[in-house]
Amino acid sequence: MKKLLTLLLLLLLVGYTQAQETGSVLIKNGTLVTITNGELENTDILIRDGKIARIGENLSAPRGVMTIDATGKFISPGIIDAHSHLNTVSTNESRNPVTSEVTMEESVNPTDISIYRAIAGGTTSIHLMHGSANVIGGQGETLKLRYGAGQEGMRMDGAPRTIKFALGENPTRVHGQGSGIHPRTRMAVEQVIREHFDAAIDYKRNREEYLTAKANFDRRGRGTPPVPVAKNLRLEVLSDIIDGEILVHCHSYRADEILMLMRVFNDYGVKNYTFQHANEAFKVAPELAKNGAHTSIFADWWAYKFEVYYSTAYNATILNENGVTNSINSDSDELIRHLNHETGKTIRYGQTSVEDALKMITINPAIQLGIEDRVGSLEEGKDGDLVIWSGHPISIYSKVEQTYIDGMKYFDLEEDQADMRISVNPNESFEDGAAFGEIISGRKADACMEGAFNLLEETTQR
Amino acid sequence: MKRKFRVLAALVILVSSGQLLSAQETPAQAISNITIHNTDGSVTESATIVWRDGIIEAIGTNVTVPFDAYVTDANNEMHLYPGFIDGFTTWGSPSQPRDPEDPSSPGEAPYNLAGVQPERIPSQHLEADKNFEAAMKAGFTTAALGLEGYMVSGQVEVFTLSPDQVKEGLFTNSIGIHGSYQRARGRVYPSTQMGIMAKFRQVMYDAEALQTHIQYQSGNPEMPAPERNEVLEAMFPLLNKSQPLFFTVDDKEDIERLFLYQDEFGFDIVIVSGKEAYAKADELKERNIPVLASIDISEAPEWYAAKNDTSKKEDMEEVTEEEQLFRDRQLEAWMAEAKNIKMLLDAGVMVGYSSHGMELKDASKAIKALLDEGGLTEEDLVKLMTTNTARILGIQQSFGSLETGKNASFTVFDKPFTEEKAKAVYSVSNGTTYEF
Repeated sequence: MKKLLTLLLLLLLVGYTQAQETGSVLIKNGTLVTITNGELENTDILIRDGKIARIGENLSAPRGVMTIDATGKFISPGIIDAHSHLNTVSTNESRNPVTSEVTMEESVNPTDISIYRAIAGGTTSIHLMHGSANVIGGQGETLKLRYGAGQEGMRMDGAPRTIKFALGENPTRVHGQGSGIHPRTRMAVEQVIREHFDAAIDYKRNREEYLTAKANFDRRGRGTPPVPVAKNLRLEVLSDIIDGEILVHCHSYRADEILMLMRVFNDYGVKNYTFQHANEAFKVAPELAKNGAHTSIFADWWAYKFEVYYSTAYNATILNENGVTNSINSDSDELIRHLNHETGKTIRYGQTSVEDALKMITINPAIQLGIEDRVGSLEEGKDGDLVIWSGHPISIYSKVEQTYIDGMKYFDLEEDQADMRISVNPNESFEDGAAFGEIISGRKADACMEGAFNLLEETTQR
Repeated sequence: MKRKFRVLAALVILVSSGQLLSAQETPAQAISNITIHNTDGSVTESATIVWRDGIIEAIGTNVTVPFDAYVTDANNEMHLYPGFIDGFTTWGSPSQPRDPEDPSSPGEAPYNLAGVQPERIPSQHLEADKNFEAAMKAGFTTAALGLEGYMVSGQVEVFTLSPDQVKEGLFTNSIGIHGSYQRARGRVYPSTQMGIMAKFRQVMYDAEALQTHIQYQSGNPEMPAPERNEVLEAMFPLLNKSQPLFFTVDDKEDIERLFLYQDEFGFDIVIVSGKEAYAKADELKERNIPVLASIDISEAPEWYAAKNDTSKKEDMEEVTEEEQLFRDRQLEAWMAEAKNIKMLLDAGVMVGYSSHGMELKDASKAIKALLDEGGLTEEDLVKLMTTNTARILGIQQSFGSLETGKNASFTVFDKPFTEEKAKAVYSVSNGTTYEF
């Protein structure tokens, strides 16, 4: 019997390993929390081959498509976390103030058990981010939490490119204090960005001139050949930011530095950016709205270092009321499992509407990642990423019963095995390795400084 | 150049006219009445092998021993194996500094501190190492040596082994460049795998620009001269796809990341170690990437080893259902590791052998596990460590099997080498005999 269970589990996982696999399912008679079209009671939703095909009443299942009765249940789109370091191999390449050349795409650990725990909390997509050690950190990667699909299979194909910036204490501490180099102050952080943007503009011009001259010389075979300008990965990515091909997500806390970055971006014509954390964003909400800047914040998490003392639980509500597209993120392997509770706090504190609160963990983060045409709401044509809840998703008593991504079921409370590991280390003893049910307790503050200090002589971690 | 040619021509004339007899002056050596284990798995009883000047002259049962040969009669009590080849190891390599100096700015670390050292050549750095003698006692006569290092550690050269004279054993100069995802010590960029991947690309781009500059300037002396750089120039063989990248990698995901290098730059790859390579076997086959496999598999789970150990049967402890499930998966994971080589071979991947610096005293345990649980036979192992490894290293013309005209490198054991307590009695490496 035990063997059989193991075998079933393995078959289940093997089934998952085929990348981009899609499924079909008809979920009947539930209450659809659509996000963009209100709540629809006693409504059916049909997913075919990974996409939402129909939303309506009395739908019947096409041949071979399973039907689930969701009477009394609530169905929401999958939760999207715009700030996560859930399953990184490493988070910070902290040895240079600018590391735009590195990418989280190459730092995805697809076997981390925390992925399963996040799906069990209804999260289906995350923005896997570089840490905040550098003024301009690495590129991010938007993942669908297809647990078992491998690093390639977890990527959300077609999602726009993103990159992490960081202002304030973290980069000045790591590089200024830690290595004794530029930037040591907030003023210098601004200059690091400007200097590198200028270098990227120069590089792009020089490189293009060289490639044109080279093509001419190679074709004609006479004249003086051009002196080569090597391809430069770091500057090329920065150049793409200026050209609007990459969405910037900037770690920031203080209002003055938020204003600073908007000035810099206006000077270089960078649009479509999101301030992450942004604890003081409420002070400059009208300015953010005017610039079309987004925010992605914690519901009530602060005071873990000096620059985050001036904070309020009304931040989200104030931003929302001022027309800023705001999301609630986790930046934590624990919070990611109940982002519905986190966004619920905006209702408790600032009386944000239930509808808007839910947008902050669905369509708003989707907008910030440039994937709102695919996910973030229940609409025909969108991806079949949804969650079946035992009650209303904003209720503290509701549980996630099933989670679907592309119409494939990745979590089912009734089939929740004790051991959901994908990768097994044969040298781990039962005593060490069997803590499958380990509860991650408390918040790990400053997760985005992971790894930034462990190689420095510093004793203080955060 | 011209002068060299003339000398060569004179030599050819001398040899062909039979006046240069120095080659014939070295007496032949022979072993008779010995059991020869061939690389195809066949065994030749009461055989004779004759070699001279490091080259096998004759081998088989129907061999005329030359008059001048020094003959050893093995009395049909000994077993002769073709010399094993270690496809990649770092024996004799100097260690990297434990506490390297910190550069003034970590992001601008010079190449050597950043772990980019493709210009380093083993034959210029090798030091005495007792592992060479241990390897010979285990049956090895040839090895591809690399240097300890980081993301790009240096070049790979093939040596015929002797217990002490390492540099003199150089057989071929660089056959490739070795790298890994290991970060350099000290406060330097790159410090993460993603950083290493980006840095590797940038080094390739910089090498490409330099090579173009050198080419352009050689035909156009009016151009500004390029700033020569031995590190970047050592990357040219990879850039031009004329040499493979030997890459130490184990995890499935890391192997997938290594494919990204190949997709972008198109060079050949030889995987070193590859403990989880079975998980990517089909793609390795498709990409024609051979694996110099490690046999350094981890020890069997304790409870499993205890169960198989008939000497201590007593406490058959009760285990909970939860622990039993855990054990089932643990054993399965271990079995997959033990069957790595077998699964690669079954998928049609070319598999050779690499100790990658493994202490050879651990080898007999690993070999036992491979035979008992790994689905391999003694013949498989011999083939892996001889013919296959020679082919992967591109030295199959001289090494990897016992044939007339090939290099005289073999080992004489008192028993078949996989048997318990089998001991190498003596070893012939590049024609020279070493007794133990």
